Amino acid sequence: MAARVTTNQSSINDDSELTTNDPEHQTNVSSKKRLSSSSNMLATSSLISPTGLTSLISFIVLTCAYISGFMSRLFSVIRFESIIHEFDPWFNYRSTAYMTENGFYNFLNWFDELAWYPLGRIVGGTIYPGLMVTSGVIHWFLHMINIPIHIREICVFLAPFFSGLTALATYLFTKELWSRRAGLFAAAFIAIAPGYSSRSVAGSYDNEGIAIFALMFTYFLWIRSVKTGSVFWSSCTALSYFYMVSAWGGYVFIINLIPVHVFVLIVLRRYSLRLYVSYSIFYILGLILSMQIPFVGFQPVRTSEHMLAAGVFALLQAYAFIDYLYTKIPRAADIKQLFFGLIMIVGLIVFAAVVVLTYAGYIAPWSGRFYSLWDTNYAKIHIPIIASVSEHQPTTWTSFFFDLHLLICLFPVGAWFCIKELTDERVFIVLYAVFASYFAGVMIRLMLTLTPCVCVLAAIALSKTLDYYADTETSDMSTSPVVPTNDGDGEDTESDKNNRNLYDKAGKPKPIPGRRGTPGTNPEAEEDTSIVSSNIKTVVVICIAMMLMLFAVHCTWVTSNAYSSPSIVLASYNNDGSRYIIDDFREAYYWLRKNTPERARVMSWWDYGYQIAGMGNRTVLVDNNTWNNSHIALVGKAMSSNETEAYKIMTMLDVDYVLVIFGGMIGYSGDDINKFLWMVRIAEGEHPKDIREQDYFTENGEFRVDRTGSPILLNCLMYKLCYYRFGELQTDFRSPPGFDRTRHVEIGNKNFDLQHVEEAYTTEHWIVRIYKVKKLANRLQAKNALRQVQRRKSIYSTTKKVAGQARKQGVILNKPQIKKGTKVSKRKT
Amino acid sequence: MMRLSFFCIFATIVFVSGQDQDGLINSNVERTLDLVSHLPKEIISVTIENRGTKATRYYDYYVEPQHVNNVAYVGAIVKGKNNDDQGNLLIKQETTDKTKGAVYRIALPNDLRAGQTIALEIEVAHINALRLYPAEITQIERQLVLYKANPYYYSRYTTQKQKTTVTLPTDRAESYTQTPKPVAKSEQTITYGPYENVAALTRSEITLHYENNNPFLTVSNLNRWIEVSHWGNVAVEETIDMYHSGAKLKGPFSRLDFQRRPDSLSAVKTFKTSLPASARDIYYRDEIGNVSTSHVKEMQDQVEVEIRPRFPLFGGWRTHYMLGYNVPSYQYLFNKGNQYVLKMRLVDHVYDDQLLEQVTIRIVLPEHSRNIEFYPPPYGVERLPNEKHYTYLDTVGRPVVVITKRNVLFQHIQDFEIHYTFDKFMLFNEPMLLVGPLFGLFCLVIILVRLNFSISRNEGSEARMRVQAVWDQVVENNLKRTGFYQKIDDALNAYKANKDLKGYNEQRKKIENELKTVQQDLAGLQAKVKADSADSAEKIAELQRLDTQQREIQQVLSGLAEKLVGNKLPKPAYLTQEEAARIRLREINARISAIINQY
Repeated sequence: MAARVTTNQSSINDDSELTTNDPEHQTNVSSKKRLSSSSNMLATSSLISPTGLTSLISFIVLTCAYISGFMSRLFSVIRFESIIHEFDPWFNYRSTAYMTENGFYNFLNWFDELAWYPLGRIVGGTIYPGLMVTSGVIHWFLHMINIPIHIREICVFLAPFFSGLTALATYLFTKELWSRRAGLFAAAFIAIAPGYSSRSVAGSYDNEGIAIFALMFTYFLWIRSVKTGSVFWSSCTALSYFYMVSAWGGYVFIINLIPVHVFVLIVLRRYSLRLYVSYSIFYILGLILSMQIPFVGFQPVRTSEHMLAAGVFALLQAYAFIDYLYTKIPRAADIKQLFFGLIMIVGLIVFAAVVVLTYAGYIAPWSGRFYSLWDTNYAKIHIPIIASVSEHQPTTWTSFFFDLHLLICLFPVGAWFCIKELTDERVFIVLYAVFASYFAGVMIRLMLTLTPCVCVLAAIALSKTLDYYADTETSDMSTSPVVPTNDGDGEDTESDKNNRNLYDKAGKPKPIPGRRGTPGTNPEAEEDTSIVSSNIKTVVVICIAMMLMLFAVHCTWVTSNAYSSPSIVLASYNNDGSRYIIDDFREAYYWLRKNTPERARVMSWWDYGYQIAGMGNRTVLVDNNTWNNSHIALVGKAMSSNETEAYKIMTMLDVDYVLVIFGGMIGYSGDDINKFLWMVRIAEGEHPKDIREQDYFTENGEFRVDRTGSPILLNCLMYKLCYYRFGELQTDFRSPPGFDRTRHVEIGNKNFDLQHVEEAYTTEHWIVRIYKVKKLANRLQAKNALRQVQRRKSIYSTTKKVAGQARKQGVILNKPQIKKGTKVSKRKT
Repeated sequence: MMRLSFFCIFATIVFVSGQDQDGLINSNVERTLDLVSHLPKEIISVTIENRGTKATRYYDYYVEPQHVNNVAYVGAIVKGKNNDDQGNLLIKQETTDKTKGAVYRIALPNDLRAGQTIALEIEVAHINALRLYPAEITQIERQLVLYKANPYYYSRYTTQKQKTTVTLPTDRAESYTQTPKPVAKSEQTITYGPYENVAALTRSEITLHYENNNPFLTVSNLNRWIEVSHWGNVAVEETIDMYHSGAKLKGPFSRLDFQRRPDSLSAVKTFKTSLPASARDIYYRDEIGNVSTSHVKEMQDQVEVEIRPRFPLFGGWRTHYMLGYNVPSYQYLFNKGNQYVLKMRLVDHVYDDQLLEQVTIRIVLPEHSRNIEFYPPPYGVERLPNEKHYTYLDTVGRPVVVITKRNVLFQHIQDFEIHYTFDKFMLFNEPMLLVGPLFGLFCLVIILVRLNFSISRNEGSEARMRVQAVWDQVVENNLKRTGFYQKIDDALNAYKANKDLKGYNEQRKKIENELKTVQQDLAGLQAKVKADSADSAEKIAELQRLDTQQREIQQVLSGLAEKLVGNKLPKPAYLTQEEAARIRLREINARISAIINQY
């Protein structure tokens, strides 16, 4: 794709007479021929003016970028089906479907009973509604013109649609920063960069899908407004910022980056009225607009995350005032220091005010998530639930290359070019680069915000490089020989003229020996240096073109192989190459949906909460919106205690079904046993007396499920639910029965029975196992029934004893029974 | 009081005599009770004899009062004839009598005169007749059912001789009533009878308790959506709610046991649906996406879809899915002028021995269809008021014919017809709806681009554009020019090789003439551009100067070549001189390209 875009780019450059990176031309075509070819092209379209042609070509390039951005994200739809992926998108999809059914206002007031039993969740106030509103509007519009498309299709294709728009926004942004050519490059890069497509493939219906577009568009408008200082553009910035706030929590990045930009501009003495106008308007409008989102509410004036913007706003006002005074007071230059001091003092006052307000409690300190950005160990120690998410892990070096490939190498070069030719707006991209690369290093998820910046800077680097290297005109004009080609080559020339075919590489070397061989009388000595330089340029251009091609190949490969799995449908390949689909998740969720009571409550680890609610349509205890840590810890405690303890918690929480994910049968590694330690850790955070992480390790500090594993682990609820009757199953002829294929061990505790739960459903490959919680536990008494029937008086007290309660309680229970003699006598009468 | 009793007596006399008047008797009856599936099927071969005096046209089939609601289908054919070319006999359901049961009046193909006999084969399908006993079983238990039936043929006519054969699914019967004698059991069949001279409306009861592990599938609701397109396609989609109506599953479901013992269970893992042979684009999905477990087999006369629900269905478990496909319309849609007839099956085959408790069929006709008439298949259906459906490019909505029917069985798979009028030219309605707006859009863009809507007039940019246009032509000219020089060179080289002076001169003349015209063009352009940009005019003038120089050099070169050919010049001298000329030529070219490239 990049290669294709490059071609188009070169043709733009043909008539904008600056560059070309079409490698072919430099090698075989002398300036004369080159000219002829370019003019040939012009000749065919002599009706259009060159400016028109330029815009036509950029239009085509952008269209190609849009289409390739859209198409390269459809792998999962083609391989599987149009389906919502992963976890969070299922909630977004469910709420979008709710909104299209019940209208926007009902959606804002929606109290979701299916989540967080028994607490429930106020959805309208706890989400960023931008995503749902966007697809709802599209749905509404299409239905208005009688296109009865299902909301699911809109949700699935929304992210690819918006990534096309992101390409356009990036083009505009880069165009403002550097040049149109760089913009086209940037658009082509962002369209296929894996760092971005990882979160925007078809089906991953998540906030990020539209937020990156909003981000880039806001930045573009901001740059525009800084450049022009116009009220119009800064109002547009505020509106676009409003859309971003409604779409993603990452808006905090914007509301901190823009003030930093303003601040740095002031420090760099680049203050101007344009800056004043644009920031003041943006901040005021943006503040008011952002407070309209219920989830954001008063946060912009009450939390530390937003205080930078407010402080810079105050500082800017003061600076503007002092600057005004400076111009008005005669001989102001003499008391420069005084003004400087004033500004410093104002700055300090603003800072002190924020600090004081924070301590006084008017401004909330940084939230844990935000804080964990600065201290990478913070989350691990204080909020294990954040640390347990894989996308919150620090980024590895390889993933930078994996996600950005060539761009990560060009990125510093672009930054360097920007710093070398610094303007107001280039300060912004440099700051963006600095912050985004820091955040991307801290959290793998924030790679997403780095990607657009990398694309822009890499495009700038590439564009500037090619401006020099692909421009053979300058050297050729004075040096390259206009040696007419020989008879034999004449035809080649003709055909070359007729079809400027990029892939005509085979013919390329031909003219060179032809030229050399012609008369052999070339005054080579004279032209030696310049010819070499021209050749070097050619080589460089070819190298760049090849790297771009590799980049395109890499992007396609990564998108197709790493990021296009829906993760709720698994596929494996048989020996004969045919595909085998493992659809256990949907099997289980659909079973829940159809064959459990409508009000049934399902307990599972929070990862599956959204999916159970979305696909199974059943009430869950905890879900991926991890707002209530203690509730999650309670579930974690139930999973990590033994069956009796767990039963107490489960009856307390009215649990009807328990769902676990078990991969040991087919070797699926993302199962609950592998996540189990996080459950223990989170439970330990809230219930340190009952759960200790240490108990689940072997003496050597290992986490093992085989015979050497710790007995507490081998008897906890999670273990039992996962391995119930697994010991009887022989997965392979070579392995013993009960061989766990994920952990490659024979399980330690094989033949056990379940007391308080019974197997309700297990999917075909055993990935999902659902257990029903039995209502009453006194069935077990049947064994000793004979003895107890004789002593009727104490049947109530013994029931509980046998039910597995602690010994102490029995003692207490016996006492009141003796005291309540009256009651007993009443019953007797 | 007197009057009333008199009336009663009169009525009784009339009734009794009316009965006698028929004079029909069942001379021989052979009943087969097929209990293999979950729908007991009764096939009664009855030989009727008219012992009365009058000819009769009707034969009444009676259903016992307790089974009145269980009968979903009654059909009759004349036995003995070739079954293919005779249709079912017309059957009309009369009012139900509380004591005697329901009456189905079968119209005989022709009058049955006195003394004549006719053999009929009556087919009756019962639903909900099996009682699950026990009603709940565990996963590994077998499913047992209880069936109660009348050992005698229930008829308003006397039966001379009759026999009832019961077919069970397996040879395992827990118990069966041993009376009235004779009763014989051999493997899967139990025979009651023969009995002779059984009076009219005799009732008795036998109870059969037997094992039945066949799929007890029931579709509780089926919505069938037929969308007719005049562009050659009929789309069919069925939304099906299905449940296992067998004994409910008690206790846990163990996947391990299920995998270990794949057969001998009452669970339904898979079933087969037959679609029309021309069905294509088949999809099988539910609320949460495509169900990946299914196979399609194309056969000679049908397309067989092996449907596997996401999970095996145990007693009481339910599922829901959608099955859709397209068929070409030429097989179902016929027309004469503007009159169209749609002839399709009312319901499709869902599975063998199907029971569809509630069926709603919606037939979407093309927009602007008029005079819609619905002709049901030969059994009663209910037609609800028409609806409107809006889909792609609809403006007034498509008419939807809505039909409902309860308890649809395999026997009900028959054709219906819809007649309607559709003006052919309305076919162009939808393409025009697409073409029109796009055409408008293009026109708008053309107008916007071609006309100048700016408020202020920008002289400078217009001049620039004019200059640009001139330069485009200059570039074009230059292209031609270089081409001609190339040709001259080629000619020169050719001349050097073959020494054909005459040919060379001719060629050169021709090309030089062409070059002249090019130069004239350039001069014209120069004059044109002068007004807008003196600078450009100068550049063009320089181009012309350079061109003249180039021509001179070219002439020198050709002169040299002539000398060389005429051996007036030694080769080394020629080479040096040519080289010098070439260098100058190259310089000129470079300068020309420099000028051109500035634009």
